[in-house]
Amino acid sequence: MKKVYSGIKNLIIGLFTTGKHLGRHAITVQYPTERWPMPERSRGIVVLLSDKETGELNCTTCLLCMRACPTAAIRIDYDKDEKGKRILKDFVVDQGICCFCGLCEEACNFAALKMATKYEFATYKSEDLIWHTDKLQEIGRDVPYEKPERKKPEAKPAAPKPAPAPNPLPAPEEKPETKDGSKPEVNDAN
Amino acid sequence: MNETATGKRTMILNMGPQHPATHGVLRVQLELDGETVVKATPVIGYLHTGIEKNAEAKLYYKVIPMTDRMDYLAPMSNNLGFCLALEKLLGLEMPPKVIYARVLLTELTRIASHLVWVGTHALDLGAMSMLLYAFRERELIIDIYEAVSGQRMMSTYFRIGGLAYDLPEDFDKKVKNILKVIPERLKDYERLLNDNKIFRGRTIGVAKISGDDAVNCGLTGPILRGSGVNYDVRKANPYCGYDQFDFNVPLGKNGDVYDRYLVRMEEIKQSLRIVQQALEGMPEGPYQVHAPGIVLPPKEDVLSKMESLIFHFKLITQGFTPPRGAVYQAIESPKGELGYYISSDGTNKPHRMRVRPPCFVNLSVLPKLIEGGLVADVIAAIGSIDIVLGEVDR
Repeated sequence: MKKVYSGIKNLIIGLFTTGKHLGRHAITVQYPTERWPMPERSRGIVVLLSDKETGELNCTTCLLCMRACPTAAIRIDYDKDEKGKRILKDFVVDQGICCFCGLCEEACNFAALKMATKYEFATYKSEDLIWHTDKLQEIGRDVPYEKPERKKPEAKPAAPKPAPAPNPLPAPEEKPETKDGSKPEVNDAN
Repeated sequence: MNETATGKRTMILNMGPQHPATHGVLRVQLELDGETVVKATPVIGYLHTGIEKNAEAKLYYKVIPMTDRMDYLAPMSNNLGFCLALEKLLGLEMPPKVIYARVLLTELTRIASHLVWVGTHALDLGAMSMLLYAFRERELIIDIYEAVSGQRMMSTYFRIGGLAYDLPEDFDKKVKNILKVIPERLKDYERLLNDNKIFRGRTIGVAKISGDDAVNCGLTGPILRGSGVNYDVRKANPYCGYDQFDFNVPLGKNGDVYDRYLVRMEEIKQSLRIVQQALEGMPEGPYQVHAPGIVLPPKEDVLSKMESLIFHFKLITQGFTPPRGAVYQAIESPKGELGYYISSDGTNKPHRMRVRPPCFVNLSVLPKLIEGGLVADVIAAIGSIDIVLGEVDR
């Protein structure tokens, strides 16, 4: 009898605790029609950013994002003009391989690519996840961003740097530039 | 049907790898005599990702995103262990803001991980609504993660030498909200579970392990402390400034499933205390240590100063080279002692990275816990160890 009594008591306590939630509003949203606002830093798909005035891509083909990518999801094809300057041919991001770590965004100095707050890119085929320059640029058009400004050099050169690194870099030999510009470079820095 | 040496007829039953109560892809091969477990063999390896081997082919800073994927319920702890190990190797001292921010975020991680545990564990034992409540509270912490680092689970926020970005503006407000909301909700959980007859009946005296056995098996974390052994890496070998914070290490007595539950609930409260102290004492200052060549320089400097530009390019393309040597750094992750052993041969990639995963070691005690018990207790035992298979297999 005592057991039955304590069992009923447990039941009432449990129902009271869960019953408190009956009156409140739902905390979920009806997804396709309603959405949560995404935080500013939210890392979604990789997009290419263009200059707001000219509409040209910000990318300078420095290849840093490609080298920083831990999963080799970024591939950049480029040509070289007669002065040896790289000209972007194709910027390819395999959104299926991308692990959304944000290292490419950190590596980029020119606000050329960003992990936008967009997250809907489901497709029927995995090949459709390989995005080329046009699509990346198109999606990145309405993405807000701040272009880092070059600071005006001070009148006097800055004092020598205080406190050198506890472990200064050794000087490994420079990587030779690829001679033929047409050949796409592979991501060998992994 | 097999026949044992004593003439009893037993049956082999495969529990998992697609069993919802094994918390992932764990397979337990059970030899049953009726309802009693005669022998149990955990079979692992279904989620092997080769993270340790992969790390040998990656620059140091590219390993951080991979460590997130080990214990995916506590990404910040995994990042912290790796970063601390390398900072030890490089001999870097962190600024106070970095220390406080790291402690705060890893303690939030502990709360989130324990909340998932209490939800899923109670669900296994029949309390359905606990799962919904625990995940609702975890959502608050995950929201902070997203605001801070940009991702809900795979945060990749800590860097070797500091944080990736500064803390956002409304960070204080969000953490204060957690400090206000979660203690009240914890009372709800305790009202639902602590005196619940079914929960007590299924946990008290189940899957017991004595303190001596737990030490001999190399257990760490709440499962060890549930058996009454006072060992917490945060107290035993303080790292990342934990000696500046005031908190208690809760201990159990009997070493059964119920005591582990109590220990984890108390740990959530102690973590909230640490979070409060860290938030109140959060100093101003840089969020990265000044170490050119190891930490990325600020963006404005890169565009205006030649040295910064060179450091930036070198760090991204070639990484940095720590001195020769090996280092071991252990931290108290929500599951137990998480250790990183990194051996460096003086190049820009790790020569060997070995992770001492708490889940793997804790899982090895499973046969000891359940042999001689009933099949229904296997679920309670697996749940009480708190394993994440991503970390067991790595």
